[in-house]
Amino acid sequence: MRQNRSNMETKGAVMNIQNAGEFTPFSPSLHANVETIRNRFGGSTDIVIRMFRSDAAPDREVAIIYIDGIVDSETVNESVMEPLMSMKLPPHAYVKGAKLLEALRSCVVSIGSVQVIEGLEQALQYLTDGLCVIMADGSAAALTADVNGGEQRSVTIPQTQTVIRGPQHGFVENVRTNISLIRRIIRSSDLHVQMHKIGRQTHTNVAVLYLHGIADEGIVKEVYRRLADIDIDGVLESGYIEEFIQDETFTLFPTLLNSERPDTVAAALLEGRVAVMVDGSPMALMAPTTFFTFFQSPEDYYQRFDIATFVRMIRYGAYVISIVLPALYIAVTTFHQEMLPTTLLISLSAQREGIPFPGLVEALLMELTFEVLREAGLRMPRAIGPAISIVGALVLGQSAVQAGIVSAGMVIIVSFTAISNFVMPEFNMAATSRIIRFLFMIMAGMFGFFGIFISVLFMLIHLASLRSFGVPYMSPMAPGPTKQGPWRDVFIRMPWWAIVLRPLDLNLRNPKRRPNGKKPPAQRHSDKA
Amino acid sequence: MNKWRLLLPLLACLLMTGCWNRVELNDIAVISATGIDWKDGNWVLSYQVVIPQAISSQSAAGNSAAVNVFSTKGESFRSAVSKASQETSRRLYFSHTQIVIIGQEAARKGLGPFLDTYLRNHDSRETVSVYLSKGSARRMLEQLIPLEKIPGAAIQRMITNEEMNSSTFRQMTVHQVLLDLLGTTHATGLPGLTVSGANENVERAEQLTHTSTPSKVRLSELALIAGDKLVGWINNEESQGVMWLSNHVKKTTIPFACNEDGNGPKSSSIRITHAKTEQHPRQSNGKWVMQIEASAVGTLMEYNCEGDLSKPKQVEKVEKLIEGEISSIMEQGWKAVRRQKADVVGFGNTIHKKYPKEWSQISDSWPEMFSDTEVKLSVKVKINSTGMSGSGFKKEQKKGGK
Repeated sequence: MRQNRSNMETKGAVMNIQNAGEFTPFSPSLHANVETIRNRFGGSTDIVIRMFRSDAAPDREVAIIYIDGIVDSETVNESVMEPLMSMKLPPHAYVKGAKLLEALRSCVVSIGSVQVIEGLEQALQYLTDGLCVIMADGSAAALTADVNGGEQRSVTIPQTQTVIRGPQHGFVENVRTNISLIRRIIRSSDLHVQMHKIGRQTHTNVAVLYLHGIADEGIVKEVYRRLADIDIDGVLESGYIEEFIQDETFTLFPTLLNSERPDTVAAALLEGRVAVMVDGSPMALMAPTTFFTFFQSPEDYYQRFDIATFVRMIRYGAYVISIVLPALYIAVTTFHQEMLPTTLLISLSAQREGIPFPGLVEALLMELTFEVLREAGLRMPRAIGPAISIVGALVLGQSAVQAGIVSAGMVIIVSFTAISNFVMPEFNMAATSRIIRFLFMIMAGMFGFFGIFISVLFMLIHLASLRSFGVPYMSPMAPGPTKQGPWRDVFIRMPWWAIVLRPLDLNLRNPKRRPNGKKPPAQRHSDKA
Repeated sequence: MNKWRLLLPLLACLLMTGCWNRVELNDIAVISATGIDWKDGNWVLSYQVVIPQAISSQSAAGNSAAVNVFSTKGESFRSAVSKASQETSRRLYFSHTQIVIIGQEAARKGLGPFLDTYLRNHDSRETVSVYLSKGSARRMLEQLIPLEKIPGAAIQRMITNEEMNSSTFRQMTVHQVLLDLLGTTHATGLPGLTVSGANENVERAEQLTHTSTPSKVRLSELALIAGDKLVGWINNEESQGVMWLSNHVKKTTIPFACNEDGNGPKSSSIRITHAKTEQHPRQSNGKWVMQIEASAVGTLMEYNCEGDLSKPKQVEKVEKLIEGEISSIMEQGWKAVRRQKADVVGFGNTIHKKYPKEWSQISDSWPEMFSDTEVKLSVKVKINSTGMSGSGFKKEQKKGGK
């Protein structure tokens, strides 16, 4: 895939060179420079060094250096190599020293982004970034040309967050492609992108995106500050960054949203959030993120509002179910039998006849079995998938009941809990309920409803104590909102024309999405006459 | 770190408590009905225990009874209950008890101890409905009832059905009984249960495989309780009169005769769909006069008298006939409760509400004054539909003959 860097990105790339501390000036001798670079790479065979003399300056040797595979060789040939070899410089341009490079930059190399550099470390950095370095004998400087390219995955349907209605492209591993996907959605100069390099060895590009004039400057600064403090040898995925920049480490709840959908990120930017994208990862991070954000699927906003509201209610319900249902079952069957309707009690107790374990053990057994099955299903090669399904569904489910090891009711509860867990649009929020569920079950097994109640209280207290980039995690519920606006897109989703305000808890400069007032009036056909 | 060190003993405490009062479902014996008898100076408590396997569709134990009945006795209720552990493997679980049947002897002895246990214990629910049995309560518990697996639940559903469709009896929950007996009049009426038919019990599940059972449990007669003791029984018609007087009729069917004096075969009937009774007490010459104003709305279900029902005049006439019938039902009910001197119709309550000052003076002598009360009845019936046929079968036939 061939790409040209936009100005913005280039500027970003220049601003943050980590090894800026070291500086070794080039030697005027081309051969010495080339030799140094070769040695710095330990004579790696994928370093391509092409030296030649062109007609325009026959007395000065020129070298083109790049790393094979991470540059687009077609661009190198067409836009760098060929013009250089056949260059015809105007007579006045033929001057000595650095002026040659200046002439090459302005008249010869037909690449959008070309710069002059003077230090060896810079050259090394740009080489590993996939740029090509042009040096000329006699000048203690070099030119870089952005010819980044090479093999990469093309944009496909998102694998983890699917929608029925809505855009069907997802991020890839290349951060520049990903930024371009956002740019295509938000065509505004207010979309500011800043690139950072993080990782002593990997020098991973980390991009920060926000909408100028909408996002809170304080939060943007805070994101920069936290990113700048990261010092690690390598960043392979946005998960690395997430753990560094999240507010609270010891919590089960994610305080950063992640998504591989450009539309989700664009929506977050429009709400005034800041997005962080990491090269090598299709998952973008969004901050600040509150608890209720995790219940909003991108599809909520593409479907009709009534359906979206209904589905959102289901989602909240399913989340609660996936946390408390096994605990409730344990509590009711071992402590509060009087809560059940008589007929249900009798049918449950008929199932429990001959079951050797107490309810809590039975539930833990089944839940752990399910977690094992699920992990096995994720990690195993695709070809043996059906085998696991058969073993899981038939052997463990049916046979365990027939053998009298677990009751049928428990299998239903565990299955329903598991299914409910998959309703959550965000995987990392769904994962929290898997762990919390066990805590709830143990508390319910020991104290019944009292235990569940205590657990819920602790969970709420904990949730209320969390912050995401300074924004209370439970907002707009706690602390409560000052206006009615924020509620229009929390538990329900009002029609688009009614959602006037952006989420207020982000403390936005520009909190209004649209002017007040109703939707454009519909004109009946008969009214026209 | 210090925080975690503090947490450790806390966690240990938490785990060492264990599952302190955990009871598994297969450790409890769910009791669907309780029977209370008084025998030789002891309370005899009978329990109808549900056998879950026999009910669940999973296990194919179709031909066994779904309940097991056994009794324990003791000088007090709870001592009798505690003796149950000497003969059953599971803890008795009363929270799902649906009915309590009190034997006649026990009711004569007094309901006080029984009601006290319900007030005191949380596992005895006040939504349990209460019945009186003419014979021993245990015998009632032993009867199997067609269509339902659990006899206790069957009886409970029977009274709900009766309450909604015929209103001769109404469901009396322990809560309601307590309200009545602790309330103004200290009197209440409880539905009675009898085993009718041949003097044979339906105790074996295979008896239910026949198309008819030799005997059956049915609701019959209303027991009048005054103070906490049984004072007498009144029959079904009188019971219906009591329901009319006390505004407890929901839906019922009333048969009526064609002529105004009420004699002759009651060959026509009306289905009452709404009924309301108001009691207006007033005082005259040291006696209380209770003005009863009943109003009812209904649909004519069958009509075998003369007259063209398509004419409003005739409909009014029929309404008069029905009004007379309802008055006579109320009259019967009033006579019965007056005879027993048990104010189960709530007159005392109404007077208390309307004339609290006067009531405080007469409350002690109310049982005597109650039977001296003069009752004046006025009934208003409205037929809102005569059904899909106007004139009736016979008249049509005559017309056709011409």
